[in-house]
Amino acid sequence: MAHATPTLEENMMDPPRGYEEGAGVYNEKLGMWVFLGSEIMFFTALIGSYIILRVAHPEAWKPPGEVLNVPLTAINTFLLICSSVTMVKAFAAIQDGNLAGLKRWLIATVIIGAGFVGVQVFEYIHLVNDGFVPSEGLYGSTFYTMTGFHGFHVTVGVICLMYVTWRAFQGKYSAADHRGVEVVGLYWHFVDLVWIILFTIVYLI
Amino acid sequence: MEKPKHAHPNYVGIFFFLGALTLLELGVAFLPWPKMVLILLLIFLAVWKAVLVALYYMHLRYEPNRLRLLAVAPLPLAVILVVAVTREFRW
Amino acid sequence: MPTIKSSVAGHASATGEAHTHEMSFLRKYIFSTDHKIIGIQFLIMSLVFLLAGGVLAMVIRWQLGFPGQAMPGGGVLPDTMAPDGIVLPEFYNALVTMHGTFMVFFAIMPLLVGVFGNYLIPLKIGAPDMAFPRINMASFWIAVPAGIMMIAGFVVEGGHAAAGWTSYAPLSERADLSGVSMGQILWCISLIILGLSSILGSFNYITTVINLRAPGMHWFRLPLSIWALFVTAILVLLAMPILSGAIIMLLFDQTIGTHFFGPAQGGQPLLWQHLFWFFGHPEVYILILPAMGFASDIIANGSRKPVFGYASMVFAILAIAVLGWGVWGHHMFMSGMNPTLGTSFMISTMLIAVPSAIKVFNWLGTIWLGSVRFHTPMLHAVAFVSMFIIGGLSGIFMASTPVDIYIHDTYFIVAHLHYVLFGGSLFAIFAAITYWYPKMFGRMMNPFWAKAHFVLTFVAYNFVFFPMHQLGLQGHMRRIFDPNEYEFLQHLQGLNTFISISAFVLFAAQFIFAINFIASWFVGEKAPDNPWDDNGLEWTVPSPPPHGNFATIPRVYRGPYEYSSPLVQEDFLPQNRELPPQPAGSAAHT
Repeated sequence: MAHATPTLEENMMDPPRGYEEGAGVYNEKLGMWVFLGSEIMFFTALIGSYIILRVAHPEAWKPPGEVLNVPLTAINTFLLICSSVTMVKAFAAIQDGNLAGLKRWLIATVIIGAGFVGVQVFEYIHLVNDGFVPSEGLYGSTFYTMTGFHGFHVTVGVICLMYVTWRAFQGKYSAADHRGVEVVGLYWHFVDLVWIILFTIVYLI
Repeated sequence: MEKPKHAHPNYVGIFFFLGALTLLELGVAFLPWPKMVLILLLIFLAVWKAVLVALYYMHLRYEPNRLRLLAVAPLPLAVILVVAVTREFRW
Repeated sequence: MPTIKSSVAGHASATGEAHTHEMSFLRKYIFSTDHKIIGIQFLIMSLVFLLAGGVLAMVIRWQLGFPGQAMPGGGVLPDTMAPDGIVLPEFYNALVTMHGTFMVFFAIMPLLVGVFGNYLIPLKIGAPDMAFPRINMASFWIAVPAGIMMIAGFVVEGGHAAAGWTSYAPLSERADLSGVSMGQILWCISLIILGLSSILGSFNYITTVINLRAPGMHWFRLPLSIWALFVTAILVLLAMPILSGAIIMLLFDQTIGTHFFGPAQGGQPLLWQHLFWFFGHPEVYILILPAMGFASDIIANGSRKPVFGYASMVFAILAIAVLGWGVWGHHMFMSGMNPTLGTSFMISTMLIAVPSAIKVFNWLGTIWLGSVRFHTPMLHAVAFVSMFIIGGLSGIFMASTPVDIYIHDTYFIVAHLHYVLFGGSLFAIFAAITYWYPKMFGRMMNPFWAKAHFVLTFVAYNFVFFPMHQLGLQGHMRRIFDPNEYEFLQHLQGLNTFISISAFVLFAAQFIFAINFIASWFVGEKAPDNPWDDNGLEWTVPSPPPHGNFATIPRVYRGPYEYSSPLVQEDFLPQNRELPPQPAGSAAHT
């Protein structure tokens, strides 16, 4: 026997109604977590290879700080964590229906995120000028590949954040429906999380 | 199933904790201890930070168990790959 | 459900009726977000690549069957490939590489996952569409440039990638040694892009199956085809990124001078193999699990009996998917890998035979004592089971490392992989296409010609691939251009020629299918809603189903295999058919 299709009045932030019980969260959030599973595997390939190559051939690496600029990158790490805070503050704001807060915190996140990428590019330019290039043995190969793809993911994240910010200014988000904010936030925090791992194993070990 | 209403976690407090852990990492990295000890300590600190971000900023602490399971499911695969292939170069 | 509604042609009505406003031809059929259209788009693209892969195989077989002779029609090929129609060794290497690449990535995988994953999942779980229809559309349109790039490699300088579909480093990254530069780069970029398409598709499928099952569609009431597609999507999600990462490293080695796999500066060729097969083994389960799922659905239908041991079938799918992550080293027994590591892979590989065997016994148990209907899909599905048995048995030989030392990289392996991928996956694909064609196109395929195609294909196929076991045991290597340069292989030329002639017959037989497929679309008998008397939800809606699939979301009362149920007169009992309450103690349904 057919079942009446759910109406539009339900809370968007809830799992889909009128269906069999699934993951307990709305589709977009489930989708983003599933997608992040693939991102975990992608970084596993890159970071895992780095670990494997380093175990196989440890002589190819220099001690921490000798080649890479640890203080600058530590500040950059701090910046990225800041942007995670601003992101989650944006999300908390719209959870409470605070549109002004949402806009403010989103803009802050975009700026800090772009800043992170800027500092990375600046760091790359310096390293290349000093002769540390991707073809510089295993050290260069793994460094640029891992941080480069992380930086690429951050850049994509900044672009998505800009889109979400634009939508926030269009008034598309509310306390009842702010899926886009939460979902882009999850991606952003993930990118921060990967960096937390990367910073440690690339710069400090 | 309505999302459980809970007070916002102390995001800024977590942030300071993350900052403190980062400073701790920076301190540890340059200590004159055996390399293996440093590596284990640093990994431990990094994972602690990552878990905090996952639990509080990504809200896993408050999500249904099914979603938490889903989030960590790929990790054993990563472990299998790295452990098995490092055995390739250390036998 | 607003998330779905907003994507169903942009609006919904209060009564929940799914309908379309007037859309342009472009929006309705080209840039469609309807999973059914996207499934058919993948079908057309994959069948084209299946044909192309088959043509490449014909050239390979010409060289092996009639070595050094001018190929009929070979004059059209440029001198860099086949001067005077005689295949060059370098071109031969590209042929074997691209045959594998086309077939695995652009034919079998999209046929199983892109076509039937897209087409069947929403229909069979009772959903109006996928969770993310626009991302679904993106997934197809991203695959198209990947395909174009992969074809383009044939016309670039240096020729196409020629290091095998497995693209082992360092050969694949040393253009100075192989002569192939642009072709390999295109191969890499194409697969990275295709990987993105697959990942987008897989997270869509996973979200849809988890969150959009109709009320009453408990996990253990899902058809096995959906279980298989769901688990396959998880494998795609987690395995493809590993390949993407590995290919990126290979690409960087070739283009910006990194040293991941080149031994000169500490790089590790074995790292490529480990990464590739860590992806590659789950990949082969991606290539067989959906086929197993379709076989289960079709065999139950053809036998008019429930699937024997439904729950164990589900657990077997899960076991294969989980164990499949721990066996990849069995592709590397001859690589010089750590022997202890090798032994652990031998053990895990032998273990994984168990769930596959469980499935085989259950299929046989399903057919046993059934009132069998020998429709074309059933023929293909039974062929699938029997060919898979042979392919699986040869796998046991290879699992044993000492045996594999002898047969690795011989035609024994080629026989095995074609038994599971052609005998297995492709027959299941033929079964699925003939089974769901009426639903997709609203027409029946011509049954006589469909059966003729089956018989010819089945016979020719076995004549092609069974002798390859013998070739391999005699020491005939794979990917070899001219076995006659080895004296100990010269006596096998007759067998090679026999295989080649059988292959030409096999290829020709496919035109029966192609003509039947195309002609039936226009002049086939109009299909009823449920031509096979099946229980699945897709058969409760018209052929083809309207946009939005169901007028209202169905309610499910039972599993999908209630054939020959004592509760009703007919020998099938659809999942959504409500029956009056049964007295206590009668046949219980999960």
